[in-house]
Amino acid sequence: MKQIAIIAVLAGIAALLPLAIGDSPYFIGVLISVLMMAALSSAWNILGGYAGQYSFGHAAYFGAGAYTTMILISKFNFNPLVSMVAGIIVACIIALITGSIVFRLRGHYFGLASIAVAEIVRLSALNFDFTGGAQGILLSDVSLWGIDLNSKIPFYYGMLLVLVFTLSIALNLRKSKTGYYLQAIREDQDAAASLGINLSFYKNKALLISAGLTSVLGSLYAVYIRFIDTTAVLDLRLSIEIILTAIIGGVGTVWGPVLGAVLLVPLAEMLRSNVIGDVLVKQGIVSENSGLGVFLKGNLAHAHVLVYGIITVLCILYMPKGILGLFRRKK
Amino acid sequence: MFFLQSLLSGILSGGVYALAGIGMSLVFGVMNISNFAHGDLMMLGMYLAYFAFTLLHIDPYLSLMLIIPTAFLFGFIIEKVFIHRIIDHPHQNQILLTIGLGLIMSNTALLAFTSDPKILTTSYSSSAVNILGGISLSVPLLLSFVITAVITGILFLFLSKTTTGLALWATSQNREAAQLMGINVAKMSAIAFGLGTALAATAGALIAPVYYIHPLAGHTFLLKAFTICVLGGLGSVVGAGIGGIIIGIVESMSSTYLSSDWKDVVVFIIFLAVLLLRPQGLLGKKGEQ
Repeated sequence: MKQIAIIAVLAGIAALLPLAIGDSPYFIGVLISVLMMAALSSAWNILGGYAGQYSFGHAAYFGAGAYTTMILISKFNFNPLVSMVAGIIVACIIALITGSIVFRLRGHYFGLASIAVAEIVRLSALNFDFTGGAQGILLSDVSLWGIDLNSKIPFYYGMLLVLVFTLSIALNLRKSKTGYYLQAIREDQDAAASLGINLSFYKNKALLISAGLTSVLGSLYAVYIRFIDTTAVLDLRLSIEIILTAIIGGVGTVWGPVLGAVLLVPLAEMLRSNVIGDVLVKQGIVSENSGLGVFLKGNLAHAHVLVYGIITVLCILYMPKGILGLFRRKK
Repeated sequence: MFFLQSLLSGILSGGVYALAGIGMSLVFGVMNISNFAHGDLMMLGMYLAYFAFTLLHIDPYLSLMLIIPTAFLFGFIIEKVFIHRIIDHPHQNQILLTIGLGLIMSNTALLAFTSDPKILTTSYSSSAVNILGGISLSVPLLLSFVITAVITGILFLFLSKTTTGLALWATSQNREAAQLMGINVAKMSAIAFGLGTALAATAGALIAPVYYIHPLAGHTFLLKAFTICVLGGLGSVVGAGIGGIIIGIVESMSSTYLSSDWKDVVVFIIFLAVLLLRPQGLLGKKGEQ
């Protein structure tokens, strides 16, 4: 009950945020990214954190939602919400096929197989014609119930809604029969099976919930950005970013993925938009025309993935249970 | 004729894949770790060959004399500083740590060398020899294949004839038993990772003359190396050698008869099929899936 109250309070604060920071598309954009990554990582966490099945291919479900939505809207003029539902169906079909292959495998093999499936999806999208190939798909115009979809605000509330929904599912699941079964599977598959838990059924159930939620976020993202290609929505890097966010916050906890997203996304955004380089130059720490200044200005934007790499290594070595794990140990 | 041509060029490029696969399999066998930085280590080998050629004017094949010890040392240190600390951790943490290390390598390379692809052009880069009237074989690939065969031969002798090699072999068979027999398994892990790195860098250097050298090139090779290992049986060195040749042939055949766009898809489908039908691989031990 307490946790639901926390979700409600935080969602209320988040809902008021756009009013507080006014009409700044840049900040709203960053906030949308935070909400999206928090929701993606929470959805991944249901499978990876609760059931201990580390999927390294969640980009496939994000991409399935994004591509299905974009194709249906741009080629067949579908309603965005109907397209989103179609995206969920496509993602669930891919998830069922993936599940039937990868859940027979354990340890190293499970992770590798999940990458292989996601790469097959990515390469297919890259090579087929109806997916726009390497050019991707551009959406010129979209409308829903007369809402102004040129503004970022509807997408902010859309992402917030999906995040709240995902967190409620994650919270309910944890205290449910399914949740306990998933945690039993995570701790010891053989013991869980010997107690009569249908491993394949519960793993697939977790995967379907996770994939469906991920595809909804993919659909929202696609309509929000109005352009997708395989690099943006199907890349292995996206799958890895989703996992890192959960790891840094705390895998298997409800709030870990949210915390991870709140910390990581703004950091990545600052590096990407070169805020740090600008500050160093403005403060006179680095001269703009010196070799280092030119280098920082030109290249620091590429460095956000490098920073992700460093954070991952430090996190695995020094706090493998994430930030929330640190607190839990102290109690 | 087409068939023979693509069979032979498949075998030649498969040789280099085999080298990358053997390196990964060795690390997996001895340390029980899936090394996701393997592709990036290959990429570093490509750049080492490139800079040895452009700055020091050393032929890429001769520069292996420098690259192999450098890469071995690099791998040895990486193991001592990072990998050995997570050797008893769950698989997913090991995977994430090596992913992190790989991201650091590829993105440092991106910062240092920019994203412009580099091309290593030697006097013989595009030359080819004709055999059997009409089948042409690229000279750099042919040379790479011969070097690969020699290195694989030396590695095999090392593993089966020397004390260190046998200790590595024993560690990969049963880590605890090897430790009880007085083998320093921590040292064996560092040696295995050093060897794996050296093999990855060698594979990178060998394909440098026929491939775009790019900071993110490792990604493609990583997944290929995994496929090769799984095909041969994770941990089986001989299996990885055979797996490499098979993947080379599959790629070359699917480029000829299907389309080069789909060759990676074919490779991944084979990967999943092997996982499903014969998860221990062609030559792997049963029971480790």
